[in-house]
Amino acid sequence: MATTHHVAAPAAERTKKAEGVTANSSTIGPIVTLLVLIVVFTVINPRFVSLENIQTVLYQAAIPLILSVGATLVILIGGIDLSIEGVMAAGALTFVLLSPNNINDSDFGVMAIGGALLVGALLGGLNGFAHVRLKIPSFMSSLGVWYIGLGIASMLYDQSTPRLSESANIAWASGTIFGISNSFFIALGVIILGVVVSRWTRFGRYAYAIGGDEAVVRLTPINIGRYKIAIFVVAGACAAFAGVLGSIRLGVGVPAVGTGQLFTTISAVVLGGTLLSGGRGGMLHSLIGVMVIVVLANGLVLSGVSPYVQQAVQGLVVIAAVGIAGWKQRSILRIVK
Amino acid sequence: MTEYALQLNDVTKRFGAVTALESVSLSVKPNEVVGIIGENGAGKSTLLKVLAGIYQPDSGEIVIGGKKQKVNGPRHAGKLGIGVVHQEQSLVPSITVTENLNLGFEGNVGRWGLYRWSKLRAETRSFLSRVSSTVDPDARTDSLSFAERQMVEIAKSLKAVAGAPGSPVIVLDEPTSVLERDDIAVLQKEVEALREIGSVIFVSHRLDEVLDFCDRVYVMRGGQVVAERETEGVAEEELYRLMVGRDASGLHYMEDQQLEPQDEAVLQVTGLTSPGAFEGVNLTVHAGEVAAIVGTNASGREEVARAIFGLHGYTAGEIKIKGEVLKPGNPRTAISRGVGYVPAERKVEGIIAGMSIGQNLAMIFSRAIAFGPFQSPRRRRELSNAWIDRLHIRPADPNADIGALSGGNQQKVAFARWMVEPDVRVLILDHPTRGLDPGAQQDIYAHIREACESGVAVLVLGDTLQECIGLAHKVLVMRDGMVTALFDAPRTHKPTPLDLIKEMV
Amino acid sequence: MTRVIERTSAGQSAASAWKKKLSLRPVVPFGMLVILVAITAIIQPSFFTAASVNVLIEGSALIAILALGQMFVLLVGGIDLSSAAVGTFTAVLFAKVVEPLGPSSVVVVLVAATVIGGVNGWLVAYLQIPSFIVTLGSLAFWQAAALILSDATTLSVFGAGYDLVGWITGQKIGPFTPSVWLTVVLALVSWLMLRYTKLGQSLIAVGLNERAALLAGLQTRWMKILAFALSGLFSGFAGLTVVSGSFSAGPGQIDALLLPAIAAAIIGGCSLTGGIANPLNVLIGSLVLVVLRMVPTAIGLDARSQQIIYGVTVIAAVVATIDRSKIPILK
Repeated sequence: MATTHHVAAPAAERTKKAEGVTANSSTIGPIVTLLVLIVVFTVINPRFVSLENIQTVLYQAAIPLILSVGATLVILIGGIDLSIEGVMAAGALTFVLLSPNNINDSDFGVMAIGGALLVGALLGGLNGFAHVRLKIPSFMSSLGVWYIGLGIASMLYDQSTPRLSESANIAWASGTIFGISNSFFIALGVIILGVVVSRWTRFGRYAYAIGGDEAVVRLTPINIGRYKIAIFVVAGACAAFAGVLGSIRLGVGVPAVGTGQLFTTISAVVLGGTLLSGGRGGMLHSLIGVMVIVVLANGLVLSGVSPYVQQAVQGLVVIAAVGIAGWKQRSILRIVK
Repeated sequence: MTEYALQLNDVTKRFGAVTALESVSLSVKPNEVVGIIGENGAGKSTLLKVLAGIYQPDSGEIVIGGKKQKVNGPRHAGKLGIGVVHQEQSLVPSITVTENLNLGFEGNVGRWGLYRWSKLRAETRSFLSRVSSTVDPDARTDSLSFAERQMVEIAKSLKAVAGAPGSPVIVLDEPTSVLERDDIAVLQKEVEALREIGSVIFVSHRLDEVLDFCDRVYVMRGGQVVAERETEGVAEEELYRLMVGRDASGLHYMEDQQLEPQDEAVLQVTGLTSPGAFEGVNLTVHAGEVAAIVGTNASGREEVARAIFGLHGYTAGEIKIKGEVLKPGNPRTAISRGVGYVPAERKVEGIIAGMSIGQNLAMIFSRAIAFGPFQSPRRRRELSNAWIDRLHIRPADPNADIGALSGGNQQKVAFARWMVEPDVRVLILDHPTRGLDPGAQQDIYAHIREACESGVAVLVLGDTLQECIGLAHKVLVMRDGMVTALFDAPRTHKPTPLDLIKEMV
Repeated sequence: MTRVIERTSAGQSAASAWKKKLSLRPVVPFGMLVILVAITAIIQPSFFTAASVNVLIEGSALIAILALGQMFVLLVGGIDLSSAAVGTFTAVLFAKVVEPLGPSSVVVVLVAATVIGGVNGWLVAYLQIPSFIVTLGSLAFWQAAALILSDATTLSVFGAGYDLVGWITGQKIGPFTPSVWLTVVLALVSWLMLRYTKLGQSLIAVGLNERAALLAGLQTRWMKILAFALSGLFSGFAGLTVVSGSFSAGPGQIDALLLPAIAAAIIGGCSLTGGIANPLNVLIGSLVLVVLRMVPTAIGLDARSQQIIYGVTVIAAVVATIDRSKIPILK
């Protein structure tokens, strides 16, 4: 909940253009970090750059990439979405229960995905509505929706865990091309879609404007509330889609499908250079950020580090990433809550 | 064929008991550049808000292109042909110039909301070229210099008035206040370019620039237009006199209570420099003395005051309190050395709304109500009642939420907080009587005099020249970050506002 | 010279608005409790026996302790997402050091918890990182630390070590276990501190208007560190209470209480923007949460709907109590 004001950039940063990836610290930093990590982990364990491991890394990156698209949009308008794990859970359970499974007789084929996306969109809409119309801070509304999503997921099944049947249509996600999981390519597709939207459509450009200086946008005829709610709806759909992929990978529908993704996603977006205050950064930034986080986790595993230490490291990394991003703006008069 | 592009006839605007604009009449011909000058508080900003449709006049009429009009708001003003370029910029820093120019008005965006970038870019270029600007439409707005952004703002206002019937009127509000010398030459070119398209109203307090830019000038004072002159061949002296008017009575400022300052130099500022804000500022204030700093926008006086209190950094120079150096740092250090500061933005910085009068009074020097390790509610009540009496604070309830008090009463509490204990040796007052009615003002002046009696050195940034002259033993004039003059203001021989204005603008 | 003078009519409406806000707040938590109890009592009268009320109140102690800690952080305008995780870590740490250190282990773990909170506060105050990021990362870190320290198992605490904290949920004093009285004492001390000490008044000032507090010479950054440190301390108390109640320390015991604790604090009248907090109302808020937890089962709803009810309650509580005039642009 920082309240900072942007001041004009010094002359040294004049070469910025909005469309290209800008050549400044918020872009170079993450890329350099990524390269450094790759080098360090290769030195520690040369298996890091083996074909098999690269496939693993890309596999592990797929879900965070999809989540980061929605999260980036929300953070661009200056909000935060803590509901990711809950919406993933609700989407996962919806998908499994609408696909061939061991609990009921449904087989909606592709519509199962549609059902999941709808659930995600509705939860996102609830989030957006609470934030925009009921006027509560986004971290509070998304905190509530997180639990609502988990609750819905829990209530969707009775005793036994729904398991996807053999006949379920999952090849599109679980197959591979050249050994790389399909889900990675799908995630890449989602990111590319995200880039197109954020650079060339009104929806995306307004997100940047609203996040950049909402007070100025209020002076225009733009309906800020509508766009904000739409962004939360999209974020909800992304999370639900990630839940679908997650449940395909697990083979079952469980509320815990999204556990741990919140840290990963927020760390990735923030590390990638999208500012929490909004208006700056973007999809490509988050792409790099996700790769940094996934490479870090993968490298730590290969180096024999326990998963708990990984989690601890991730916690520190998030804090450090935001701290470094905001380092230059520290001032005695700056109020950060 | 109408003669005037814009006319205001007898426009009056009141806010409660205060008349901000009184029977203001002015006219602007097509392809003319008209200036409006006046001091702070002369009514310029209210006039601009009326033109932009943010305020509605209580009486009088606005005539645009020969037709009486009611301006409903900034967008409507644009449709009628009035475009206002405000001092505070209204551009989103993180998006491109093209997007800012067209924000909310991107026109037909085709399926899926895809922007027609080439079309938008071309349109942006055309508006930018009208003000001979070479800014790249794809550049991100925060990568531009202040002057370049100003050009974008002007281009934006041109877009806002595009399509309006008749000759458009572009209003520039204090456009030069933060520009460098070279940029002003560029601005002049832009204004000439604007003159081809329509008319320009140039509002400023910088007399020499107004005379350079404009064909005619209106002088405002006290909410009224007091004069109109052709700029060709006018005497600056005459305009200064018109801006300032007759001196107000010195009694209001209790000049008769102005005592001789003591010998001790309590506050000594030497060579204080903060690039971009102020440079080489020297200032000495003795015990019991009142020093005032006058200056217009961007004079640097507010920054100097805040620097002494530890709110603004400086790269060179030194501040001494009672002969000992005060290290720069934070307000706490300054307070511990006896410096007090009553800020200009009372609601944001001066008082804590949500707490009571009593709690606010005891906030700075809380030992006044200490009871061992605790705070005594009884002592707080006693303290509050004492000060409520002394300063005639209404409502007279120590537990009243300070947020519910009128501005004047809030300011009295903001002031009194510093006087609860005798610690303060230097008291800095930043626009202390802003927004106060004369009665409340007098209360504050009386207490300034009292503070002087007890040996406090006072540094005041007054709202008006009269206030500074009336209150002070000496008046410093600042312009563009530097001290340009120092006037002695003993009771018997006060400088006139005219003397000051000459150094200010 | 004309000046813009504030309109008196605006001043009057501000006054009446203030009166409304100040008087509505304390009523909300108590009102909610009464309504919830009434609903449950009507649908399921057998629910409210003396014994079950007792269990209810004792069950709320843990949430209340966490909520009081959260209250301090909310008071300065922040949020502490790590409080439950720090509580778990404290419990695990205690289980580990109680044998070697003996009686001083209680002090050691409480100090550790306070220091952890203080570090969080330092990151917020000096490095100016938003509190929800700091405490989100802290949550991950300390949760992991607890897992590492305990090898992801539940550690048993018994014998002399247990006696150090066993009394908390042991012999009743009057109608309740000491845990309840501990909570009440903590709330009372907090209330006294906030109302009658410079420290407390400074915390409130920082929460209401940090800038003005800075200009009044208050050590705003230390106040923030103090608020987070207190949250850490209270998390420590919560951890010890859990050990007492379950004879063990392990992951997941307190983690689920984070959201209820935040909800309890907000229902208890704490403002999200800071500056308003009443410890006694937070206690009532905790009772509301516990009743809320039992309402579904009491009136025949599925127990798993609990999470949904929590989520909706948090949102509703914030909607009812947030002061929108303080947030010009909501993010």
